[in-house]
Amino acid sequence: MSQSKEILNLAVSIGEELLKSGAEIYRVQETVERVMEAYGVQDYNVFVLTNGIFATVHENREDAGSMVRNVPIGDVNLGKVARLNQLSREICQGTYSLKDAYIHLEQCKNAASVSNMALVLSCGIGSAGFCYLLGGYPFDSLLSFFLGMLLQAFLLAAGKRHTSKFLMDILGSALVTIGGLVLYILGLEIQFDRVIIGGIILLMPGVALVTAIRDLFNGDYLSGGIRLMDALLTGMCIAIGVGAAVKTFQLLGGGMLPL
Amino acid sequence: MIIQIIIAMISTLAFAVLFHVPKSEYLYCALNGGIGWAAYRICETCGFGAVASSLWATLVLTLVARVLSAVRKMPSTVFLIAGIFSLVPGSGIYYTAYYLIMNQLSRSSEKGIDTFKIAGAIVLGIIFGLALPQSWFNRLGNLFEKNKKNKEHQTNTPQQS
Repeated sequence: MSQSKEILNLAVSIGEELLKSGAEIYRVQETVERVMEAYGVQDYNVFVLTNGIFATVHENREDAGSMVRNVPIGDVNLGKVARLNQLSREICQGTYSLKDAYIHLEQCKNAASVSNMALVLSCGIGSAGFCYLLGGYPFDSLLSFFLGMLLQAFLLAAGKRHTSKFLMDILGSALVTIGGLVLYILGLEIQFDRVIIGGIILLMPGVALVTAIRDLFNGDYLSGGIRLMDALLTGMCIAIGVGAAVKTFQLLGGGMLPL
Repeated sequence: MIIQIIIAMISTLAFAVLFHVPKSEYLYCALNGGIGWAAYRICETCGFGAVASSLWATLVLTLVARVLSAVRKMPSTVFLIAGIFSLVPGSGIYYTAYYLIMNQLSRSSEKGIDTFKIAGAIVLGIIFGLALPQSWFNRLGNLFEKNKKNKEHQTNTPQQS
């Protein structure tokens, strides 16, 4: 019967979930191939891009199947990557029947993630730490902590409305800069630049940069290019957001900011 | 310096939480971040300059991430992404934009080129780190596993020794 289609569906679903969580291309490709092989499919073809998976099985047989999935770039979730990696390892050892594998995949999908409160708090801590590492004083770090929390709260709220990622980057960095400006107007003794840089650290395209390089290095030039473009554009968006806020402040008569 | 390393570890830990790293790996992520920042600071105090320091720090970070991934049986991305954050040239992007807005074009381009150089150095660091064959790290992981098993064996059967 159409057993091969079910296998294909399972393999591609695992791959899709991996790709969405921010895994590298070669990992997705290898996982899909291994899962198929584990269930005895020999004749297959898989092609993975940063935002899509294409796969076919048994092209010359009666039960031929093919699948195309569009996978938008999602939030990074390394826990999911690790869990799915473990799942595919167990599948390769032949632990699960096809049905069990589906159940375990669902479990991986719905596994409890970190609460929003913890996300906001840790973003604040990350911002504060980074501000200090750049040479900020403890007081600057404290303000950076609040700006970081503000940013994460904004991103969570905006994420629910499916705002475009670039718009979120621009608005987020502008928001942090405005927050910093408000503190500056209030007359607090802060190192303005350090506080802002600490605040926007979450938006920095660190993940995109690392994944882009890994993809490029594994020979997935197209996917690496997509990610690299993403990293560059994100950097530009941050610059636009910060710049727009500072410029507006200047035009309103705020004058030159101290550096 | 030691305070800085501890702060770097705490921020890396925070980023690990943000990227939903499994709870069991938090400590190792923090460790990697601390090591990366320590390497950066040491290179800087030796007079390497920001670009070369970023290169070496990233190289160390990548290698440690790969060792950890072999030992902990986790994808190396888990350790790499959280750790790299303290080295990403965030301030460079900010200053470039800032000077551009302030119409100080020469300083802006200076900062912009600096930022590109640091990003390039990070890229090179990761590439060099990834260039070493996986089998070396696998062997290291196996060695560690064997040691652990031996130890467990010894503690389980103390009367034999």
